[in-house]
Parts: sequence; structure tokens; C-alpha cells
Amino acid sequence: MTSTAETTSRPATRRRTSVRAQADARFGLLLATPALILVLGLVAWPGLRTAVYSLQRVSLAGEESWTGLNNFRTLFTDERFIHSLTTTVLYAVGFLLVSTLLGLGFALLLNEKFHGQWLARSLLIVPWACPWVMVGMIWKWFVDGEVGALNAALYQFGLIDSYAAPLSDSTGALVVAVLAGAWRQASFTGLLILAGLQTIPKELPQAAMVDGANVWQRFRHLTLPWLRPVIVVVVIINTIFGFMQFDTIWALTQGGPGDATSVLSIYLYEQLFVYTNIGLGSATAVVLGGIALVLGFVFVKLLYRSNAITEGVE
Amino acid sequence: MDVRYPTAGSFPISASLSRRNLLRGALAAGLTVPAVPLLTACGDSAAKTNDTPGTLSMTAWEAYPEQIRELLASFKNQGGSPVDLSLIPNVGYGPALQTRLQGGQAIDVFYNFAYASTKYVDAGWAGTLNDFPGAEDLLADMFPASAARHRLADGRIISVPYFSAVHNLMYNESHLKKHGISAPPTTKEEVYEQCRKLKSAGVPSPYAGYWTKQFLEEYLLVYLLADGITPFDDKGAPVFADDPRTQDVMEWWKAMYQDGLTSKDVLTADPGNHVTAMAQGNSTFFELHHYFLQIVRTTEGPESGNVTILYRNPGTAGTTLQIGEVIQIGAKSGGQRAQDAWKLLKFYGWKDDVGKYSTFTSWAKAAALLGPYPGLFKDPDFLAAFPSYYDMPKLENTFANQSDVVPTRVAPWYASFQVKVGDRIQAMLLGQADVKETVDALATDARNLAAAGQ
Repeated sequence: MTSTAETTSRPATRRRTSVRAQADARFGLLLATPALILVLGLVAWPGLRTAVYSLQRVSLAGEESWTGLNNFRTLFTDERFIHSLTTTVLYAVGFLLVSTLLGLGFALLLNEKFHGQWLARSLLIVPWACPWVMVGMIWKWFVDGEVGALNAALYQFGLIDSYAAPLSDSTGALVVAVLAGAWRQASFTGLLILAGLQTIPKELPQAAMVDGANVWQRFRHLTLPWLRPVIVVVVIINTIFGFMQFDTIWALTQGGPGDATSVLSIYLYEQLFVYTNIGLGSATAVVLGGIALVLGFVFVKLLYRSNAITEGVE
Repeated sequence: MDVRYPTAGSFPISASLSRRNLLRGALAAGLTVPAVPLLTACGDSAAKTNDTPGTLSMTAWEAYPEQIRELLASFKNQGGSPVDLSLIPNVGYGPALQTRLQGGQAIDVFYNFAYASTKYVDAGWAGTLNDFPGAEDLLADMFPASAARHRLADGRIISVPYFSAVHNLMYNESHLKKHGISAPPTTKEEVYEQCRKLKSAGVPSPYAGYWTKQFLEEYLLVYLLADGITPFDDKGAPVFADDPRTQDVMEWWKAMYQDGLTSKDVLTADPGNHVTAMAQGNSTFFELHHYFLQIVRTTEGPESGNVTILYRNPGTAGTTLQIGEVIQIGAKSGGQRAQDAWKLLKFYGWKDDVGKYSTFTSWAKAAALLGPYPGLFKDPDFLAAFPSYYDMPKLENTFANQSDVVPTRVAPWYASFQVKVGDRIQAMLLGQADVKETVDALATDARNLAAAGQ
């Protein structure tokens, strides 16, 4: 039996704990304030300014006048913008598929035990260590129509009769741009998925093998569901990178030949820094940011749903 | 024991040093550190001139950084102000500089691309130079044709030269002799015929040119000028489109690409690829700035020593394009500070304190760069800086009589036109647009951009 003193002291303790928790929360918020100010100053403020500029006509001298949605109307009636948007979607889809599948392949391979596994795992990080612009330059030389290593290899193996110059062809240039960007991103994707694979308890595949599951069945019904949260994160990151890509494409083709690889970020660059049309450039940034935001939101929703499924199974 | 848990608003006065108090101190410091630059950034970025003499700020792209430092040290030794140098990588220089200036940063002196120079003055980022002592003398010392890059039609002087160059056709003399070609080409038709002959004799890519999107506009002007076609009139109207010879030039250009007389990668290849091709003997002709001859020669490939320059560009007129980048003064420099900055501009873009072209001589030694002053070609130090394979009297003649800066190139809308040229000419070369359509579209682009002031 509980004494009266004990029963009265419990709410008091709870109340004191609650007061303490609130104080801690407030104090924690205060401690986070410097970082919050920085984030707001460096991310939110420029973001807000960009949104405001997208509704204005802005001269280089700093004069601003409201134009409502005119910049967006101009954008969506500009053939070049529509072309860049289409190219961006094509690029992003290719980038997402190649980088994710290649990364998954790398991770599955490097999760197996073999001689030199440590070296292979170390090498996986090399492309990720290269800056995007460097990746563009490396690939430019790799696929060069005169001295490119890819041409040399294909020629030596008798797969081509003469050297090809993919960057001088509209479709070829886009394919190379996708492969170059995806090659780097696959490295990071591989690392994330490999980390996910390491968390699979050893007993699970062993038990599946005892139950007679073959390699494909183990991958399909065990590995893939286990990796689903990681893969959703990977898909979010790769989609955003795909839509935002600039450096690699710029180093490879400057958006050419013609406007074959002119993605939205290149269109944005030209509006801001060549045409110095700050309003239109900001509107492009808002569209590009909006696409990334919507896709991010959708994927996060998917992530929570997949987590719910996993938790439900557990 | 009565333990008090202080809330944020009730700090105990008698509190001793504890983890929490330490964190509070850190909090206060943490709030101050980011707030200061942010508050500064939120301040008025509008132009307030800085009249205070002192260390000047200069922004340049990263070409020969050690040499820039040496020049600035030399400026200081001659009684100039100390200079705080900020270097920006060549790739992305324009956007970086624009962002800094638009953000309100005060820069006293900066390198700029000639095509952006008027725009920067109009935006209030760069100042005019008319009121500085000696500005008129500086322009009077130049080749008359070159001065149009620095003085606008309305009389404003907006920049001084950083360096100048001319487009020339470089060629491999030995290749021509070996394949029975007695003399280098004098017309475009001869260029085409010789390239066909060389191609069938086994030269993989007889003609090399830096035909990437960003540089195609230079080539458009080079090819038009060589045939005596006026690209733009005095008011900047695209009169090239009214000249029937323009279509012939474009047809020639298209045939050179589509008939395989250039490298397959010519639309995306860097100059380094073409230099290598010339040095290795994979190309016979290379059209680019005159100073690339030195690069080809110093590459020391098996054919490097056989490459020379044709000082008259192939075409009925033989005229070529004179290019060059500029240096400008920041609009926020005023009073004595502006005078000090002008002194640096004169040193860097004209003569030093003792009347010598020391900066241009320095660039000539480093990279065979030129300046737009006739006096340079009489200066023994400058002439001695060029290797013997340059024929300096001929180079001078090209500058004085056979080149054009095309003054429209500094119009505020011209950078936008350059982008259009890149897109449209590459599409034409790839066969995605016909010649007439391309010429008409370029003229329309120029008119529209000029009308919009972009």
C-alpha cells in the first residue's frame, strides 16, 4: 500500500520534471539559435529573396518593380525553357536510373567476400572524391573522338571500325552527360546501400537458404525489402542531384551541341549571368526548386510509408 | 538540498561557474558571431564612394598569378599604392565578379571581359574614365581601330586594355610541301580545297578551330571580316544579314564540318586538343589567336617546329578580328582613392611611371600577348620578348591595317547575342538548321536583344 506522502509527492515530482523539461527545451532552443540564424540567413533569406525577385523586374542597378506572374508567363511561353525542362527531365530520369542501379550493383558486389575486397571498397569512393566539374573533364577526355580511351578500347576489341565522337552528336552528348554524372553518383549510392547491406542480420539469409530460397528469391524477398528505406533516401538524393546538375554538363558540352544538353540549370545560369535577367532567372530557380521540393516531399511520404510497412512486418 | 533549475528568463545572479553557465557564455558569443556579418550584409549596399586612400583592392582571373603579384609589387616600388589582390578561377570569373559587385562589394580595379564592360558601367559597378588626367592621351596612343573597344560611341571611356590579340591562321609548312601544295591558302575556297587534298592524303583532321559554343561568335566575325563583310553598322544593326556573301561564308563553314575536314570533336574540343593535333601533325591548319603559335611551338611535338602563321587571313579582304580583354575602375572609388586606382590602371593597361610599357612586355614574355599600342612595336624590350618565329612587322601591320575590333562587341546586349550564335551555328553545322534560316535568325536575335537592351 502506498502512503499518502508518497502519492502526493509523485505529481509534484512529475510537475518538477515537466518544468525542468520545458526549461531544458527552451535552453536547447536558445543554444540552437546561432545555428538557426545562420541557416535562416544563408538559406531561407536568399530563398525568400529569389521568390520575391521572381515576381519582379530587377535592373542591375538595383531598381525593382513588381510584375506579378509575368516572369513565369514568359518562361512557359519560351521554347528554349520548355526544351530545357524536357532535357532536364530526360537527364534526371537517366541519372536516377543509372546511378541507383549501378550503385546497387557496386554495393551487392562489394558486400561479398573476396580477395582485395578492402581495396575495391576503397576504390569505390574515388569517383565521389572528384568534384563534379572534374568528372566532366575526365569524361570529355575519356570519350574524345581522336584520343579517347573508350574509343581506343572499343576499337582494339573490334567493336567499332572508326573512332566515334559522341559529344558532337545531340543524343550521344546527352547519354555521355548522364553516364558521367551517374558514374560519380553511383559511388555515393553504392556506399549508402553497402552500409544498409551491412545491417542485415546474418541469420536471415541463412534461414532463407535453409528454407530453399535461391539467390534471386533472397534478393527479391529479403535484401530488397530490408534496403527499402535506404533506397528511398538514395532515390531522393539522386533525383535532386539529377535535376540540379550543372558543373559536369557545363564542363562536357556547355549545353551543346546546339542546345542538346541545355538543362534547366544551364538555362538559369544564362538568364542570370549572360542575359542578366534577374527576374526571369529567379523564376527559373523557383521552378527548379519547386520540382525538387515536390519530388522530395513525395519521396519522403514514400519513405514513411515504407517504414510503416517495415514496422508492421516486424 | 534545494536545487534550482534556472529557466532561460531567470538566471540566478549568484550562479557559479557550471556547465550550464559556460554554455550560456558560449550562447552569447555564438549569437554575436553570425549576427555581425549578417547584419552587415543586410546593410545598405547602395553605392557609397570610398574616398580614403590606402590599400587598393583588385580582382583578376587566375592567369599567371605570380606575374600579377610581381607587377603589383613593381607598381608599389614606383610609388603606387599597395594592392590587395583577389584571384578568381577563369571558369566562372564573370558570375563571381558580378555577384560580388551586385552584393555591394567595393573593388577598386578589376579585370573584365570586353563584352561585359559597358553593361558594368550602366549597372553602376564600373566608373567612366573621362575625367582622369591622361585618359585621352592613353587612347590617343592606341591604334585608332583598337580605341573603339574602350571609348563608346557616346564618348564615355569605360576601360583600359589588359591585353590584345588577333585571329590568324596557323599552318604546317612542311605538310603543305609534302602534299604538293605550293602556297598557303588565300581564299576560303582554297582552304577547303587544300583540306580535301590533305584529308585524302591521310591527314586526319586538316582544319582545327575552337568551335565550341562560347567561341563561335569570334569565328563568325573572323570569317565575315576575311571576306570583307561588315558584321554590324555604326548603330549596331546586323547588316551582315543583308550581304549575300554571308550565306556563302556559312555554306563554306558548314561544308568544312560536314565534309569531315575538321576533327569530329570540334564542337566541344578545347584548344589543348587542337594544339596537340597541330604538334602531332594530325591537323594542318589552326585558326585562333596569334599567341597559340607559341603554345604549339613549346608543346614540342614532332610537327611543332613546322607550324607558322599566315598573317593575312584567307578571304577576299584578308581582314581579321582583333580581340582583347579589359581592366575597369570600380564605381565606388572616389577622391584620392580613385586617383590611386587610375594610377594602377595606367600602369597595368598602358605605361609605367617612367614611360615604359613594362606590363605589356611582361605579358609578351609570358605568353606572347600583345597590346593595342603602336609604340609597343617600336619598343626593343617588347620586341625582344617575342620568339623569332613571330614576324613582328607583319603582326604590327595586322594590328594597324588588317584587323577590326567590331565596336558592337561591347554593346550591353552583345553577350546575349554570343549565346545565340553558339546555339544557332552549332545547330547549322549539325544540319539541324539551314544556312538562310540561321542567318535570318541571328539577325533577328541581334535586333531583338538590342531593342530589349539585354
